[in-house]
Amino acid sequence: MLDRLPLPSQFDRIIVQGSIVAGMLGTPILVVLLALLLLSRISAPEFVFWLDATVVIAGALGAVLLRNIVHAALALIATLLGVAGIFLLLANEFIALVQVLVYGGGVTILLLFGLMLTNAQDEPVVSDGSQKPFAFGVAVIIGGLFIAAVIDANWGARVPAVVSFTAFGERLFRDFLIPVILIAILLDIALSGAFVNARRSRDEDEMAPTGGEARS
Amino acid sequence: MIPMENFLLLSAVLFAIGFYGVLARRSAILILISVELMLAGVAINFVTFATYLDSQAFSGAIFALFVITVAAAEVGLALGIVLRIFRERQTANVDEVDTLKW
Amino acid sequence: MGMEQVWLLPAIPAGIFVVIALFSRILPRGGDWLAILGLITVTVLGVLVLIDFQGSFTGGHFDAHGNNVFAFDWIRVADDFFAIEFSTFVDAIAVTMIVVVSIVALMVMVYSVGYMHGEARYGWYFALLSFFTAAMLTLVVSGNMILLYLAWEGVGLASYLLIGFYWERRTAAEAAKKAFITTRIGDVGLLIGIILLWRATGSFDIQTIIEAARAGAIGETYLTVSMILLFAGAAGKSAQFPLHVWLPDAMEGPTPVSALIHAATMVVAGVYLVARFSPVYAEVLIARDVVLYIGLLTALMAATMGLVESDIKRVLAYSTVSQLGFMFVALGVGSVTAAMFHLFTHAFFKSLLFLGSGSVIHATEQQTVEQLGGLRRKLPLTATTFTIGSLALAGVPIFAGFFSKDEILLETLKGAPLAAYVALAFTAALTALYTTRLVVLTFFGEPRNRHAHEHAHEAPTSMAGPLVLLAALATVAGFVALDGVGKALGFAGGFGELVFLEEGHHFKLDPAVAFGATAASLVAIALGWAYWSGAAERAARARRWAPELHALLVNRYYLDNLYQAAIDRVVLGLARVVAWFDKRIINETGVDGGAQTIGYFGLRLKFLQTGRIPNYALAMAVGLAAIALLAFGTQ
Repeated sequence: MLDRLPLPSQFDRIIVQGSIVAGMLGTPILVVLLALLLLSRISAPEFVFWLDATVVIAGALGAVLLRNIVHAALALIATLLGVAGIFLLLANEFIALVQVLVYGGGVTILLLFGLMLTNAQDEPVVSDGSQKPFAFGVAVIIGGLFIAAVIDANWGARVPAVVSFTAFGERLFRDFLIPVILIAILLDIALSGAFVNARRSRDEDEMAPTGGEARS
Repeated sequence: MIPMENFLLLSAVLFAIGFYGVLARRSAILILISVELMLAGVAINFVTFATYLDSQAFSGAIFALFVITVAAAEVGLALGIVLRIFRERQTANVDEVDTLKW
Repeated sequence: MGMEQVWLLPAIPAGIFVVIALFSRILPRGGDWLAILGLITVTVLGVLVLIDFQGSFTGGHFDAHGNNVFAFDWIRVADDFFAIEFSTFVDAIAVTMIVVVSIVALMVMVYSVGYMHGEARYGWYFALLSFFTAAMLTLVVSGNMILLYLAWEGVGLASYLLIGFYWERRTAAEAAKKAFITTRIGDVGLLIGIILLWRATGSFDIQTIIEAARAGAIGETYLTVSMILLFAGAAGKSAQFPLHVWLPDAMEGPTPVSALIHAATMVVAGVYLVARFSPVYAEVLIARDVVLYIGLLTALMAATMGLVESDIKRVLAYSTVSQLGFMFVALGVGSVTAAMFHLFTHAFFKSLLFLGSGSVIHATEQQTVEQLGGLRRKLPLTATTFTIGSLALAGVPIFAGFFSKDEILLETLKGAPLAAYVALAFTAALTALYTTRLVVLTFFGEPRNRHAHEHAHEAPTSMAGPLVLLAALATVAGFVALDGVGKALGFAGGFGELVFLEEGHHFKLDPAVAFGATAASLVAIALGWAYWSGAAERAARARRWAPELHALLVNRYYLDNLYQAAIDRVVLGLARVVAWFDKRIINETGVDGGAQTIGYFGLRLKFLQTGRIPNYALAMAVGLAAIALLAFGTQ
């Protein structure tokens, strides 16, 4: 199994190539934003927001469009870290932390493992489905509707509040105690289910005890 | 001072991109990745509203926490299923799994 | 126990029916003792009702001495627009019927203990008898057309079940079906009549309807049609022409059942119904004439058929049909007194005759008169009681039938054309003739079947007791017509003082009529004796004498064949058309065609189902987008 992992050299290549692409895409935007900042057209937080938003959108597009599954997964990591940054901008450090820990740590690793255990190594390049145009249309409609709704509504000048760790903890474990417990149980069940689902059943073991080794 | 609309628009775009991915991708893993994008968009939305409109109770933020948790559970479970399908059929492409047809 | 508690009468046997039907396997002796105990109670209560009734008796049966007791609402829509109440009504007619039904039912049940001994479904038999008694008593005391109709169908059901009691025998099952379907034809008329009367008066209450009809609130033609339809129901139940064909076949049931249901009680339900409505029939003379002439025709026809029939029970069945015709003749000339009086006496002597024939069948296992004969020495008690019943039926003086038949003849002479009287008197003579034939062939002469004769034995006590009691009643029941007897029993007068339409009726013998009828009967008896008591071959001589007439009578005027042909041609032809329509149009074009169309589309459209999840997800997303667009657009 170990030899199915991407080799460090491959990782290096991916990272280097990805950085080059990201830099080529991001530099003009960075330059424009810096110019705007220096001309006092946007404030410093806004500058950070736009930078972060660029990372998020670019990562998302990469995750959705890249033909190489591993590349797509890496782009997802960029997006998720960018979203963590957005949470920070929203003055909610705790969620940002959780986002980094759970997504950046857990989920992404899980996804990569899934890739490796399925077809990542053998055929990293995949083709997309045949319903791309329809998918694009529907996604545009849905996204357009959301955007229109957001622009349409009159939100007024709202001031963001800072959510402190203490307040968040009190609220979470006092008012939302039972949902938290339920979520914990849910996680437990889900992981047990995943385990039961993914492990080989006994008769499969007996029928092909050396199958996995033979394939590797 | 960032306007609230910026965050909402970002979340909408993120959601739409994820939506597109779910519909357009073939690999089950990539569909999962797209679902994660949609969930991220929703989480941004929740937290935005919590921060801007509900600064006392911030229930939205707590919901975002739950969304993240449930997403984690979902990924675990879905990957289990994907692995199972892969083992049965030597593929993780959803359009090759079509025993539901006539 | 007064008239207010009269609902108890049907309630007791109804409860016993449920108990026996459910637990007859657990109860000792199948629960027959329970049924008999219940009927003894009913009889006692019936007599108490009679005493209470005659205490409050003031005048004609239509007037105040009737007692309409409201029991409970069954259905009530929009106050009184459509109301069905369970109410009981007791008048002279009802009291007469209560006494007759309870006494005869009790006799028959006691008799059945011996007769049905050792039968399979012994308990079920007694349950059915209880059920029948309950339904019949409900019918009698009902103050409401719907309740009456319910009980009417109830006795029909009991009759069906009891005729088909030996359903393993094909003929019994067929006879049960025939009885049920034939009476149902009349019942449709009855139901339509009830609905017509309700439409005219807005009420189901019998007294309300009668009052409305007498007050002239209903158009004459309308009322005539309604009354003829009611009579159609009565004709079906009472086996009048042209619906009489079921009664002879009904003899497939156990003999005690024939005595109870198909001679004494159920078949007189029609007479009872017409008698109940006699005030209305008095208003519409056309309908009354229909009753008169149908009754006359039936009486004559049935008597002639009885003359040649060889099955002992069937002879009695024809006799019953004929005597019911007599009752309808009496109603047709407007004499409720004569009709109810004949009903009263007939119930006793006819059930006696049936029980006697049952005794013969029990003893010899034979019921064809050609196989019997000479039984008077083997079965002296049966022979004596049977002869008493026959004399009553033949109308020999002092026996019950003499009084009632004489009354009917007298009323006919007064209220109908002379031809009708002559025909009826001739029928009475024929009655004497076929009765004599039956008695002579069964009990006198030489045994024709040695084997059956030698194994014959007298009936057990439980069967003999009812025979003796009924023989006594058949002898003396006629005397209640006399004023002196009525007064001695505590009534205002004779039977005619109790049951009448407009005014009390003093019984008196018209010497000419009485003498004529008696003479005719005696002559007929003498003729019959002379003809049939000789050698066995002489019985067959009638066939040589007039073979065509004999064939006509034996084949029951070919009415059964006619009905069968009509059913074969018309009903089955219609059924074939309907079946074709059902098969081709409804089934193959409609049902199958619809299914095939849908199947065709399914065959074509199934390719929409690719089985690929992304396609389904896309469809879902398109729907979502459409709904979102719609919601956003209408906002």
